[in-house]
Amino acid sequence: MPPVIEKETCIRCGKCVDICTEDVFYGSEKKKTPVIAYPGECWHCNACVETCPEKGAIRLRIPLPMMVCYK
Amino acid sequence: MEQVRTVDADVLCIGGGIAGLMAAIHAAERGAKVVVSEKGNTLTSGAGGMGNDHILCFLPEVHGKDLKPFVEELRRGQMGDRLKDPEATRVWLERTSEIVKLWDSWGIPMKYQGRYEFAGHGFPGGLFPSHLKYAGRDQKKVLTKEALKRGVEIINRVMVLDLVGDGTTVYGAIGLNTREDSLFLFRAKSVLLGTGVVNRLYQGLTPGWMGNATRPATLTGDGRAMAYRAGAELVNVEKLEHHAGPKYFTRSGQATWVGVVRDPQGKPVGPYLTQPDRRYSDMIIEVNKTLFSEYAKSGRGPVYMDCRGISDEDYDYMMTWFGHEGFTALVNHLQDKGIDLKKHPIEWATYGMRGSAGSVLQNVKAETSLKGLYVAGDDTTRSISTASTFGWIAGENMAAYAKGVDLPSPKQGEELLKEKKGFLDGLRKRESGPDWKEVNITLQQLMSDYAGFVRSETMLEAGLTHVGRLKKEALSTMIAPNQHELMRALEVLNLIELGELVCIAARERRESRGWHERKDYPYTDPLLDKQLVIKKVDGKTAALWR
Repeated sequence: MPPVIEKETCIRCGKCVDICTEDVFYGSEKKKTPVIAYPGECWHCNACVETCPEKGAIRLRIPLPMMVCYK
Repeated sequence: MEQVRTVDADVLCIGGGIAGLMAAIHAAERGAKVVVSEKGNTLTSGAGGMGNDHILCFLPEVHGKDLKPFVEELRRGQMGDRLKDPEATRVWLERTSEIVKLWDSWGIPMKYQGRYEFAGHGFPGGLFPSHLKYAGRDQKKVLTKEALKRGVEIINRVMVLDLVGDGTTVYGAIGLNTREDSLFLFRAKSVLLGTGVVNRLYQGLTPGWMGNATRPATLTGDGRAMAYRAGAELVNVEKLEHHAGPKYFTRSGQATWVGVVRDPQGKPVGPYLTQPDRRYSDMIIEVNKTLFSEYAKSGRGPVYMDCRGISDEDYDYMMTWFGHEGFTALVNHLQDKGIDLKKHPIEWATYGMRGSAGSVLQNVKAETSLKGLYVAGDDTTRSISTASTFGWIAGENMAAYAKGVDLPSPKQGEELLKEKKGFLDGLRKRESGPDWKEVNITLQQLMSDYAGFVRSETMLEAGLTHVGRLKKEALSTMIAPNQHELMRALEVLNLIELGELVCIAARERRESRGWHERKDYPYTDPLLDKQLVIKKVDGKTAALWR
């Protein structure tokens, strides 16, 4: 469930924790890899991905029920 | 929750979205001491949190000096319903030009390739294109910076749970720190509600998955619920609202799509477009937002947004604006799954009952029916254009009002604070019971079944009873083991309150009008072409026709 953090790449700056409007990362501690405490509350806005200074450290996994139906 | 921080302000803005920040900036410019309380972080919060790419505005240098023909043309589209009050329409539109110039000067680029560019939300052949394209990706960052520059204090991660007042005047609010065990007591000369739309009241495309929404899931009509409790008047509570967009990846911003709405045989559903054209969004969606569900229900679907045949230039144009409109998660997802909009039409759906539950009644000065209480943004109207304009108007009026009143005494609000403290501590201590999600899913189920598309006296009566029972159950058994879940629990209690009001108002409007369809009163009654006001009188809900 979204978001997904690559522990090896994450620089633990906490920017995603600061800006998440839903506080999906509630309970995260400073200078530690953020905890994704409430993944089900993500509204998939992508703010964490866009704010992350380290490419590839965080991405959204779009849940299956949100599949785009195409021809 | 022993710790309480007291915050004094001339102007308190509850919600730091577009409306709240615009009000804060303007009030601070006029010399007021301004505080913004925000549930999330003003950098990304609210409906405009991830950006916007078009705003409705009237620019005399483009449209000419006469507002009348502009409004007449606007009436044809989805805004038609909101142009009923000529004075409100004039005040709003006349000030949009000022907003455009301000934003441009602050660093939100309002011009495309050096000129004003209008596109979308307009019928082909129209003479007055109304929606200005702008690069709004960073709009919230810019507005936050402008507010801070003027000395506004922004307090993030606070959920305001109730207003402090005496039934006629509002002079503060009580807030919950959503990260630490503490409360806020705001003592303010004037208060603005700018808390956004009502999400999570009805089932969305993915029932139970409440984050699959067109707006942040934190927007739960807190402003409307607390305004009602404080004695303010609400209107249009019985109305349903719909939207349409990609299935099942719920996103608003329909007019950013350059494509044609087509049926399974490839035939355009509407008469307006046969080829994608960057100047126009397919207006059949504004003529009938429920067409997608109607096609599906009748077996004629699915219906597609078909961008095939788009020119390379128009495709690049669309993708640029997708970025500003906040579609980056969707764009990444399409890429991951190999869905190329040049090749693949994608299905669209009607998003049922989004953002319903009415508005806090306001006048053209953004005043509510209570003294000292103002409202702007999606708590009252529903667009970035009105949010920015009436936020700006609210700011100047609140600063002026605050000059004439004294700061309330510290005693005021203490009683309510004590009561709330006891209630919140009780919730936190409870060890077992349903969590907020369980309660919220139940509410959505009841609202969709009893006060949704099928409405009648008996169904609404029954719905009201069931929601009332759910309220009792939630108040006595819901758990909230930490501050975050406490915030969610309070949101759900607000939603339950609004759910009850929807049932009451929908029962009272004994006719069908727009999307409010009564099976037992299928016709529109010309005698009921008036406003239904919902307010609390002597502790009870009153429905008044005006």
